[in-house]
Amino acid sequence: MRRFLDTILHFFGKMSTSSSPGEDYINRLFLFFLILCGVIMVVVIVMILTGVIRYRSGRIQGEPDQRTGNRAVEMTWTVIPFILVTFFLVLTIKYMKAINSPSAEGKKAEIRIIAHQWWWEMEYPGYGFTTANELHIPAGRDILVQIESADVIHDWWVPDLGRKIDAIPGRINYTWLNSQKPGEFRGACSEYCGAQHAHMLIYVVAQGKEDFDGWVISQQRVPGPPADSTGAEGARLFRERTCISCHNISGISDDAHIGPDLTHVSLRQTILSGMLPASRENIIKWIGDPQKIKEGSHMPDFMLEKDEINALATYLEDLK
Amino acid sequence: MMLFVGSESFFFLALILSYIYYSRKGGQLSTTAGNLDIFKTSIFSILLFSSSLTIYLADLGIRRSNRKMLMFWLGATIFLGTIFIIGQGVEYSRLFKQNITISRNVFSSAFFTLTGFHGLHVVTGLIVLAIILFLIVSGRFRHLENQALRSASIYWHFVDAVWVAVFSVVYIGSLL
Amino acid sequence: MNFRIHIPEPKTPLPDIKTGEGLLQWISTVDHKLIGIMYLWTSVFFFIVGFAEAFLMRIQLALPNNTFLSPETYNQIFTTHGTNMIFLVLTPMIIGFATYCVPMMIGANEMAFPRLNAFSYWTFLFGGLLLYASYFAGGMPNVGWFSYAPLSEKFFSSTPGVDYWILSLLLMGIGTVSAALNLAVTTLTMRAKGLSMTRLPLFVWMVFVNSFLILAAFPVLNAGLFMLLIDRQLDAHFFLSSTGGAPIMWQHLFWGFGHPEVYILALPAFGMVSEVIPVFSRKPIFGYEFVAASSVAIMLLSFGVWAHHMFAVGLGNTFNAFFAASSMLIAVPTGVKIFNWAATMWGGSVKLTTSMLFALALLVNFTIGGLSGVGFALVPVDWRLTDSYFVVAHIHYVLIGGSLTGGLAAAYYWFPKITGRMLSEKIGKWHFWLFFIGFNCTFFVFHFLGLLGMPRRVYTYADFPYLGSLNFFSTMGAMVFGSSFILFIVNIFYSLRHGKKAENNPWNAWTLEWLTTSPPQPKNFESVPLVKSRRPLWDLMHPEDPDWKRGNSKKTQGHE
Repeated sequence: MRRFLDTILHFFGKMSTSSSPGEDYINRLFLFFLILCGVIMVVVIVMILTGVIRYRSGRIQGEPDQRTGNRAVEMTWTVIPFILVTFFLVLTIKYMKAINSPSAEGKKAEIRIIAHQWWWEMEYPGYGFTTANELHIPAGRDILVQIESADVIHDWWVPDLGRKIDAIPGRINYTWLNSQKPGEFRGACSEYCGAQHAHMLIYVVAQGKEDFDGWVISQQRVPGPPADSTGAEGARLFRERTCISCHNISGISDDAHIGPDLTHVSLRQTILSGMLPASRENIIKWIGDPQKIKEGSHMPDFMLEKDEINALATYLEDLK
Repeated sequence: MMLFVGSESFFFLALILSYIYYSRKGGQLSTTAGNLDIFKTSIFSILLFSSSLTIYLADLGIRRSNRKMLMFWLGATIFLGTIFIIGQGVEYSRLFKQNITISRNVFSSAFFTLTGFHGLHVVTGLIVLAIILFLIVSGRFRHLENQALRSASIYWHFVDAVWVAVFSVVYIGSLL
Repeated sequence: MNFRIHIPEPKTPLPDIKTGEGLLQWISTVDHKLIGIMYLWTSVFFFIVGFAEAFLMRIQLALPNNTFLSPETYNQIFTTHGTNMIFLVLTPMIIGFATYCVPMMIGANEMAFPRLNAFSYWTFLFGGLLLYASYFAGGMPNVGWFSYAPLSEKFFSSTPGVDYWILSLLLMGIGTVSAALNLAVTTLTMRAKGLSMTRLPLFVWMVFVNSFLILAAFPVLNAGLFMLLIDRQLDAHFFLSSTGGAPIMWQHLFWGFGHPEVYILALPAFGMVSEVIPVFSRKPIFGYEFVAASSVAIMLLSFGVWAHHMFAVGLGNTFNAFFAASSMLIAVPTGVKIFNWAATMWGGSVKLTTSMLFALALLVNFTIGGLSGVGFALVPVDWRLTDSYFVVAHIHYVLIGGSLTGGLAAAYYWFPKITGRMLSEKIGKWHFWLFFIGFNCTFFVFHFLGLLGMPRRVYTYADFPYLGSLNFFSTMGAMVFGSSFILFIVNIFYSLRHGKKAENNPWNAWTLEWLTTSPPQPKNFESVPLVKSRRPLWDLMHPEDPDWKRGNSKKTQGHE
């Protein structure tokens, strides 16, 4: 019970201090709406309880007065909702425009987010690198992102960072992201997209200028050759066992984007789009039996030997 | 029957609107659409439109209790409708020979779906009319004043009206 | 002065109503009463199936990262659950009550097209069975009940599940459209003498308006379904963007049907409570004209709101603004009815039978559902909450809290008429309270889950704060909710055997169906009184104070 109340307070708390201006509008509109709901529910419940209690049967003998309506009353309770509707419509349009402005016409997106069946590709054309599932943005300013899909309809949804928007194949959608302060935000794909829709989580990190620049540099770095023989074996396997035909690793591969970019996978918090923490163990488990971990995913089981998987894990771990 | 016809018009409305969208989207109006034979189809369309006249005359036959008139014009309606379907079939096979099938591109998908469903509705109508004609000829309809033919002729007029719309949108539209 | 008018025999004799006994009678019947009963039993049967599906989902979702169901199984179950509940439970429920009650409420002995009536039912049933046949054909559909393209295209869904779904919906649609046609024509042409359109019982009126919704909306669905089928089977290019198609077109076509569909499910329920509440408040409904007019408004407006399901697609401010306006507008006629119903009780003499309790529960629960719906009309709020559990809360509040609850009110109200026995009020009260508490416990928390960021259609979720506890609480609620339904079945079977025998008019109601015996004879009426107001039986029972003297009826010269 206490935890239940906590949830409610938690939510109301969030509503008054959000980290993003887009989110602010949404919260404010929702608050007005909640107030309206409260008032209407109270009115309806009072009307019902009055009817049931004050006018219960047995109070009078025989049938009550058979009145059938009151035009004035009915007009009132039709007109008042109309006025409320107009008020909310005006607010809705105003806030909708505010969230969507400025218009994306003629502007170039800083980040291209491409949704795939069950992972998120993020390309930073200005900086020249691509990453996956974990989005870093500089805090404190508006960032234009472009949302696309490589296969079916997905939906970009990070509740604390503003509106959600569909990723539709054959179409480019734009949205603004803005986190006023540094922070971490969780989101999820929000349009059913197949078997592993449930495991297409989003993780956004908003960073101060220095941290963000540092991150960019780490992402731009092309990894050097592997440090030891296991790593070298891993690199060889990566090429020869065709991992390279789906996954890109800067410096050695042909820029395939069928699977997530693995150049700096060791720097991410999670793998498999938020499903498991990023660790050597988890990578080994995953490569060993993908269908067991994320059933339905498009990664085949390559039937690798234990030491081969080990080598690959070492190789990926050491990529910096 | 009016309600049924009203309902089916929403079906065709949806298909027509989809056709208009897809035919403009693909940009194939100038290419694939160029293969449509507007002249021949116009001839067959005129025949279909005249079948509305013939079925009206058949209706008149009922009202004048003239069995011969009814049977003749009903037969004429079926005849004209069949010619229309044959004409459509010929047009289809000509397009197929040029490898324009339903899966060729978005335009052809929309084209065949829209005209195909219209054709199916015409065939259904022809079957119904043929059954009615058979029943009249074999003497099964004791009273000529019969709800069946009235309903069937409302349906038939509807099928014609849909073709007016489809022909305008598809064939005349392809000229614009 | 009330004289009875003999109902003339139809010009062409109807098929013999009682042909054969037992199973043969049921399969071959064209009697609207038997067909209505078949619809209702079908609805009950598929509710059990759909509830089992829901319960499996609730078990899987009770704990985070649960492994009770595999993702593929879960995805098939949630797809079938949605399709089942909408098309195989709520639709036959409303059509069943309409088929049974409408002819009797207008003083007719049959529907306009009895054979079409039978055709409607059997086509519908086979369509429904086809959906489940997909299990044996290689996999049930797993793309959600609205089957968005391109996920539903062959490339992404190679099992035949989607094809079965399409064919099933096409067949069920044919059944539903023909039933709607039948109901509309019946209402237009077979009313008793004096029963003008403005004197129709509100249930009949709502069903009538609803018929037009069905006639116009289902063809749009059919167009989309055929296009998807042609895409899948004949390699066309309607919805695959890679070959020039437009996935969004599917959404327009589907929601062009989908939105009227939900009003199709709701309007008859509104009609049901419009019958129940006045009878158990012992006075006429407050504002008949407003209630009737608002349903026409809803019918017209419902074709102009569909794209509120597409606010997140990014179709532009103007587009969104238009649909936001229309969606907020449609809330007004819907909401106004709630006030009318509640006000009916004021000044009355309220008897809280089980039927009345369900009707009142509709007022509360549907208001909650309707309000959350209005929330979605506020576009920025939609941008936060659509496709989350908040919308799952909304749909269950309007569909269960609205449509199903109305059906349960109708069940308790008309059971005596249909079967000749009273349903046990004692079991009924238990049924009601378990239902009300179970339903709200299961679904109210969904609002919070949506606010906390849980998307819909997920087979599991991560162990983020509160998600687990709220989901677990919901599953507990589902058990209570399920037990209420078991009680309902128990009540039905118990009452069929041991229920108190019902008189013709156990509730002292005022519409024509209560003139017949309980259960009615195969030929409903030998004769009906001349109708002079909206409550013919009130006039009969109160000749000193009839409605038509009080100006309750339209002053028309006899039959209109």
